[in-house]
Amino acid sequence: MNGMSIIIKKELKRVFGDKKLVFSMFILPAIIMIALYGIMGFMIGKMNSDIEENVNKVYVVNSDDRMKNAITASGFDKTNDITYLNEADFRAKEQDIRDEVLNGDAQLVVYMDKDFNQKFTSYTDSSSPVPQIKLSYNTTENYSQNTYGMFATGVLEIYRTGLLQERVGSLDVLNVFDLEDDIIEKEEKANSRFISMMLPYMIVIMLFAGAMSVGVDAMAGEKERGTLASMLLSPVNRTAIAGGKIIAMMILSGLSAIVYVVSMMIAMPVMSAMGGGESEMAGGFGGLSLSLVEGLQLAAIMLALVFLFVAVISFMAIRAKDTKAASSLISPIYIVVMVAGMLTMFMSGKEVPITRYFIPVYGNAVAIKDICNGELVTSNFLASLAGTVIIAILLTIGIAKAFDDEKVMFNA
Amino acid sequence: MIQINGLTKIYKLNAKKMQELKTKENKKVAVNNVSLEARPGEIFGLLGPNGAGKTTTLRCVATLLKPTKGSVSVCGFDTQKEGQKVRDSIAFLTNEIKLDPNFSADYMFKFFGRLHGMSEEQIVARQEELFGVFGINDFKNKKIEELSTGMKQKAAIAVSLVHDPKVVIFDEPTSGLDIVTARSVTDYLKHLRDMGKTVIVSTHIMSEAEKLSDRIGVIIAGQKVEEGTLAEILQRNEAVDLEDAFFKLYSKYNPEKK
Repeated sequence: MNGMSIIIKKELKRVFGDKKLVFSMFILPAIIMIALYGIMGFMIGKMNSDIEENVNKVYVVNSDDRMKNAITASGFDKTNDITYLNEADFRAKEQDIRDEVLNGDAQLVVYMDKDFNQKFTSYTDSSSPVPQIKLSYNTTENYSQNTYGMFATGVLEIYRTGLLQERVGSLDVLNVFDLEDDIIEKEEKANSRFISMMLPYMIVIMLFAGAMSVGVDAMAGEKERGTLASMLLSPVNRTAIAGGKIIAMMILSGLSAIVYVVSMMIAMPVMSAMGGGESEMAGGFGGLSLSLVEGLQLAAIMLALVFLFVAVISFMAIRAKDTKAASSLISPIYIVVMVAGMLTMFMSGKEVPITRYFIPVYGNAVAIKDICNGELVTSNFLASLAGTVIIAILLTIGIAKAFDDEKVMFNA
Repeated sequence: MIQINGLTKIYKLNAKKMQELKTKENKKVAVNNVSLEARPGEIFGLLGPNGAGKTTTLRCVATLLKPTKGSVSVCGFDTQKEGQKVRDSIAFLTNEIKLDPNFSADYMFKFFGRLHGMSEEQIVARQEELFGVFGINDFKNKKIEELSTGMKQKAAIAVSLVHDPKVVIFDEPTSGLDIVTARSVTDYLKHLRDMGKTVIVSTHIMSEAEKLSDRIGVIIAGQKVEEGTLAEILQRNEAVDLEDAFFKLYSKYNPEKK
């Protein structure tokens, strides 16, 4: 045990004794994450205000007075530059106008049938022709898309209401029922909908990334440099050497994951403050509230995941000839882990059978999702821990055996 | 005391290695039925060309490799059954095994001292002695990666000797060193011998083996082909010096010349 603690201290000193390594492992990711989310927020805010402030060019063809009144009533003419055209003028310039929309110089063309009024007034029953309004816009241009939205939901609604009123007299006769939404949901589940979707995935990939950053070098790197063999020459039991390295890596990757999670908790409100809006995403962890037991359950699952990831990475890395080979071996596992984390994003509300909680990584991600929703039951929690820890222990035994295997350690 | 009895080490070769070695055999006999003895108070020189099996033999003694056949004991401990006791009795130095470049010589010395179960007082006393002998104090706090080849080798030797072992196994300890540093290393090996330690040194520098070794063993193509004092070897091979004797043995036992 003493040998193990000496090795743990040495491995931790290797990181914490190197200011550059501490900066790149713990401080830089936090700065990058906060800066990245801040920039994202700033860019989203800037984009939104640009769209709102932009004066869009709109052509309205064959407009009648009712349409002009609807445009004025909706305020659409205040933020948009509107050109009214008759049929002849429009036909003469049609291709040029379409090119303007295509190139982003104009945002919307509203084309009303030339005999719109006649069709409207001569309407008697469902066999009568219905006048048409055609909206031409460019979905690849944000300004155009936004102008279309404003016109369709603002101007056209006022226009439609006016025409209906003219046709039927009072709009009240069209109201056949009132609709009332009665939402029945758990408050905590509703508040944490976004975070329960994202957090399992984020925790899983961040823990794996943290373990990978330290695990490859601690095993394959040391083996490649010949420094691992110097430890194997000491009288310390080789299982203790393997155990010491694994525990040290668990501490480092766990700390790295905590840095990532805390950074994200800070970064999301920063994104909101920088103009990213009040969306669920920008609200970040605000909707998540955990009880003490749930907090401890989350910590236990994260610890089990760290153990598993460190064990998997070490198991592969120790068998690799060098760090390059180790990274190649581990990359496919990273993808599997990402997919397992991602699967929880697309889960329906259907109850997950307990057997699935035993599946390492996936079971843990589901359990984390349940914690966010306040739905994790003890049996599922224990199943998710058991599946992960058992695999991690088996891998650790494999690593200890590898330390004693001359074929693995010395390519003999 | 090191006793090697009928040591045989056979490596299994995979398809890639077979292709590299241009052989159709799926195994390679690295050491073939080697027996030898290194006694306390003597320096045993192990000679042989590259790939002869010297390093494999020494790795079996240091418990890093397991013999395919035969046995090795160090200070009475069997390397396969009592590996930890063997490792506590030896200092093992080879070019392929290095100190962690991220740490200083000072830290590495203390780290390995602690792994050998030494107290802090014992480590400090031992450090004063060895760092003084090898002149390490001036650079003891520099990271290993910042040191020159000679400094690294001195640090590695000092660290390997931290626990004052009874047996010292050095594989080409002066390789790549300048003449002054090489002299300080060979002088210290003689000092260790005079203190009653068992010293095995593998080398392919004939002059060094002549001056340093009390007895010499020659390994060619995995087999021990000669063992004795310098005088005995010269007499048996009718040679004027060790180099002459070595080439006569090499032309006799080298499989490529057979």
